[in-house]
Amino acid sequence: MARGVMLMSGGIDSPVALHYLLRQGHAMVAVHMDNRPFTDDSPLSKVVDHLAMLRERYHQPIPLYMLPHGPTQITLMRSTDRHFGCVLCRRFMWRSAERIAVREGAQFLATGEALGQVASQTLSNMRSATASVQLPIVRPLIGFDKQEIEQVAKSIGTYQISTRPGVCCQAVPDKPATRSNLVQILKEEERIDVDAMIDDCVRKSVIL
Amino acid sequence: MYRRLRLCSNRGGYEAIAEPAHPIDLERAKARLAAERIPVVDARVMLIVRLDAEVTVSRGGRLLFKTQDPQLAERTFQRLRSVLELPAMESPSSSEPAGG
Repeated sequence: MARGVMLMSGGIDSPVALHYLLRQGHAMVAVHMDNRPFTDDSPLSKVVDHLAMLRERYHQPIPLYMLPHGPTQITLMRSTDRHFGCVLCRRFMWRSAERIAVREGAQFLATGEALGQVASQTLSNMRSATASVQLPIVRPLIGFDKQEIEQVAKSIGTYQISTRPGVCCQAVPDKPATRSNLVQILKEEERIDVDAMIDDCVRKSVIL
Repeated sequence: MYRRLRLCSNRGGYEAIAEPAHPIDLERAKARLAAERIPVVDARVMLIVRLDAEVTVSRGGRLLFKTQDPQLAERTFQRLRSVLELPAMESPSSSEPAGG
């Protein structure tokens, strides 16, 4: 079985995706991109509780890396086209997670994305976002609908944690692009120092 | 005038929306907050203000108070209102009854 890095948001989907990968026997590492001050403390506390539940269920240590993503969001808001905010944000998440994967000797990245659920999860946006990394990306829930995911979340006990009150991401633009192409996105990234931002984010990561 | 504070969709905070809309000049708001030594993060399209509760101040005038305590949210609104000279909030009697 392989070693993978799972992006955990605190929402309903990511613990369900992680559950499937753990059930298959993969050794997983979790990464949480800490979006404060664009959200509150709740996503992190949900991820901590999701992992506690899944560690107990699968008897796996599942280390959790928390990476500060707020400073990246501020730079993106100040320097890039707001319309592409969600895609740019995702690209930084993937690249940061890939750095952690290299550090951890992981062979793949994973996410709870399901096609078409939110602005960043259209095919063109997924393509733009994931073109930023080399490792394969596993999406155990890609063909699931919301109801199916919720049903599994309830059965494994993570739904009650995911649906606790919390402030949703304030960095999401009013009208996020549902279509993007890589040329546009790369042009936006020319306005910022991508490598320095990722270096800084990964350097400040904390293992919980 | 700001409508009464209402719980946001994910129930993690209270939001205040002005009707009619009350756009906020964020540069000016930032200067006023700085003059009062109130910590503020400038994200260009919004300010994040650290009062008793943390508040997101959007250019369009929407305010989001990151607390689940309605009294704290209300107190924070009044403090912010005095610094930024925002419109008043409607009185409880003029608010709509809670929907079911």
